Amino acid sequence: MKYPLIFSLAILDIFRPDGLDFTHRNSPTMQKYVIETMGGGVALLDYNNDGLLDIFLVNSGKLDDPQKPPANFARREPAYWNRLYRQNRDGSFTDVTAAAGLSQAGNDYGMGVAVGDYNNDGFPDIYVTNYGRNILYRNNGNGAFTDVTGEAGVAAGGWSVSAGFLDYDNDGRLDLFVSRYLDYDLGRNILCGTPFHSYCRPEKYPGMTNLLYHNEGNGRFRDASVSSGIAAVTGKGMGVAFHDYDGDGFPDIFVSNDLMEQFLFHNRGNGTFEERALDAGVALSDDGSSYSGMGVAFADYDNDGLPDILVTNLALEKWALYRNEGGGRFSYASLSTGLAGLVARNSGWGLGFHDFDNDGWKDLFAAQSHVLDNVERIHSGLRYLEPPGLYRNAAGRFEKSALEALPAVAGRGVAFGDLNNDGAIDAVMSVLGGRPIVLRGRPNRNHWLTFKLAGTRSNRDGQGATVRIGRQWAYATTAGSYLSASDSRVHFGLGGGTRVTVEIAWPAGKRQVLENVAADRIVTVKEPE
Amino acid sequence: MIAALLPMLLAFQVTPELRQHVDAGLKARAAGDLDTAVREFRRVAELAPDLAAAHVNLGAVYFEKKDYAACVAPLRRALELNPDLPGAHGMLGAALLAQGYASESIAHLEKARAEDLLGVALLEGGRVREAVDRLEAALQKRPEDADLLYYLSQAHGRLSRQLADRLRQSSPESARTQLMLGEALAAAGNREPAAKHLRAALALRPDLRGVHYVLGEMYLESGDYENAEREFGEEARMVPGSAAAAYKLGLVLLNRGQVREAIAALERANTLQPDMPETQVELGKALATAGEAAGAEKMFQRVLELEPASRLAETAHFQLAQIYRKLGRSADAEREMTLFQQLRGKRK
Repeated sequence: MKYPLIFSLAILDIFRPDGLDFTHRNSPTMQKYVIETMGGGVALLDYNNDGLLDIFLVNSGKLDDPQKPPANFARREPAYWNRLYRQNRDGSFTDVTAAAGLSQAGNDYGMGVAVGDYNNDGFPDIYVTNYGRNILYRNNGNGAFTDVTGEAGVAAGGWSVSAGFLDYDNDGRLDLFVSRYLDYDLGRNILCGTPFHSYCRPEKYPGMTNLLYHNEGNGRFRDASVSSGIAAVTGKGMGVAFHDYDGDGFPDIFVSNDLMEQFLFHNRGNGTFEERALDAGVALSDDGSSYSGMGVAFADYDNDGLPDILVTNLALEKWALYRNEGGGRFSYASLSTGLAGLVARNSGWGLGFHDFDNDGWKDLFAAQSHVLDNVERIHSGLRYLEPPGLYRNAAGRFEKSALEALPAVAGRGVAFGDLNNDGAIDAVMSVLGGRPIVLRGRPNRNHWLTFKLAGTRSNRDGQGATVRIGRQWAYATTAGSYLSASDSRVHFGLGGGTRVTVEIAWPAGKRQVLENVAADRIVTVKEPE
Repeated sequence: MIAALLPMLLAFQVTPELRQHVDAGLKARAAGDLDTAVREFRRVAELAPDLAAAHVNLGAVYFEKKDYAACVAPLRRALELNPDLPGAHGMLGAALLAQGYASESIAHLEKARAEDLLGVALLEGGRVREAVDRLEAALQKRPEDADLLYYLSQAHGRLSRQLADRLRQSSPESARTQLMLGEALAAAGNREPAAKHLRAALALRPDLRGVHYVLGEMYLESGDYENAEREFGEEARMVPGSAAAAYKLGLVLLNRGQVREAIAALERANTLQPDMPETQVELGKALATAGEAAGAEKMFQRVLELEPASRLAETAHFQLAQIYRKLGRSADAEREMTLFQQLRGKRK
């Protein structure tokens, strides 16, 4: 039995697949370096195109206590490698890191991962963010990757956190967005808190600008951060997600920021962006307060055809759910959906809106844990370690599902996808300083459909395509959550529906309608030429 | 004080030498040379040992030097010679108090009618009730005095602790004792033991007012809205006239997405205690969530009348901007957003 069942929950089952032996190492110190709290990227991708999702996990690195310059995070030691696990036919995993050429991860402290087929060769590529220099690994298509960061021109620098591939100008090539957090130097670390030390709040450090790289073709990117207007604002970026919130055909960018206004970069369609979060009503809480923005989901939770935004934050801040009202405006929906009360005790990181029970409504799954590993000493009512949260979507209102049986851990990144292609969405959650947790969706009587998009004029994976079935809308993207990259395929729960009509709006502009599509299968859809 | 005593001094047997030392002492003191002043006045006291004023002068210079230990003896001698010197009593009382001899200082401060120092001395001497009276009287004359406010708060705190000790000793198993212990532990952030005492209070007296409220507060502060709703709901049922319970219940219901029920609770709170801006902000938010823009607008406008520049005003401006945008009143929305940002900028 390659998927040993540990225990079973109503919607998700917990598994510890054979071969997935990764341990994240963040090396916490008494110095309370802020980077220690942040890592744990995870990606689900089919790197060898065998139809099975593989798992890529980002490690962080070794920190001395105190760290002496020059920084040496020991990334060449196997314990600190990022790891790629190939899924086998029997559901077990094999560590193929070395064979895939991914053991060379530079010597920077690891954060997150983005996945996209930037060169349209049909094989997903991997971009790893670091506190330091980022790395782009080109998938050679033969099971191995090559570090092409230098020639691609995407090393960035500073403290990158989340990243994502998107085709912001619909030219058929995936561009790259990178969120960056603080202007932080280990050598100028500040110790906060008396009588005992805690990790400093982000106000103690200046922020950074985010980065946008335009894919020029021929394996090269151009830094378009300034020319596009992305660098016009300085933030403290954490999560990043894409969607076309105003339906103008161009993907917009949402960046969750830590303890300042959130950013919504509206794509003007001419290669430039305008930051409009305050105007759109997604910058602040209902009190007009900033909060500790962590992860972000950008999806249509209420099946009205308009993408909504959910930003996780710390316990007692209320996760911020913004319902898209149309016309470029959002309203604060944490109260009306009951979500505020449900998650008031929880600190959220990676998250996603996915239909785990295939009833036609996207549920919410989130990695949870406070950022302060000694929060109990500061507030006895809060907890550092938390089990992840599953919040079932009951026609637009949220209800807590029983996941309390899960171990309390420091959850960080989460990636979503159908690991065993059984039509039930699975989740892989990274654990800060620990082993990842795999949750497998449990198939039920409800029906489902999953689409693998194959762009022709659009980018090869159809990222940025909008797929509609009845009242349900989904957006093809691997980005979102926190530090993580999800399955590029698009999944729908159909409830009792067994045959449906599917409409696809491709980024290059084509509209495609598929009639009478039978449920319960994975359908590859090629963009009409 | 020295200048006032000078005519007295001069009315006695003034020799040229005495006069010379008095003048030199006064001159040195006026120049701030207190060491020389001490030397001169000590000589005056030697030349006129039975003259109370001579000792007062010496004590006064020591007092000015904050050498409280040294000023006690000459002031005591002065008061032996003439007990009817309120200034000397005041200085002696203050000097004794400064050295921690609170009980001994009280009689002198009473004679000096120094209400503020007397209040402190009584407090430090363990006569807390009298201290409260004296400090209250002093505070009426100087309502912003930081020292007085500090000592008065200390006095009330000590009085409260004394009464709490009495309650605990006289009725250790009573519901009130359990409530008191629960409240104290909750205030200190010790949630689990606090809840144990509060539950014990309810077991003893299920109808005891306030217990459910404290439990509700505790749950609310840790984000446990489900339990907070239960406790505030129970408090509101037991004490239907409590605006605070109705407000907290409404707040919790709103965060749990029970918008209609939240509006009912918050409207009740607003009726029971009109013009509480916290209630009106939450009621405005609840009405806005329910799509009742006119009612919400009214609430936020009222908040701004009551508190035009507070953190609640920021929320009111921000919420008004959202409401006006939704209604398509762009100019109003813009104005409110500008006002919001101005207030926010000032706070930052």
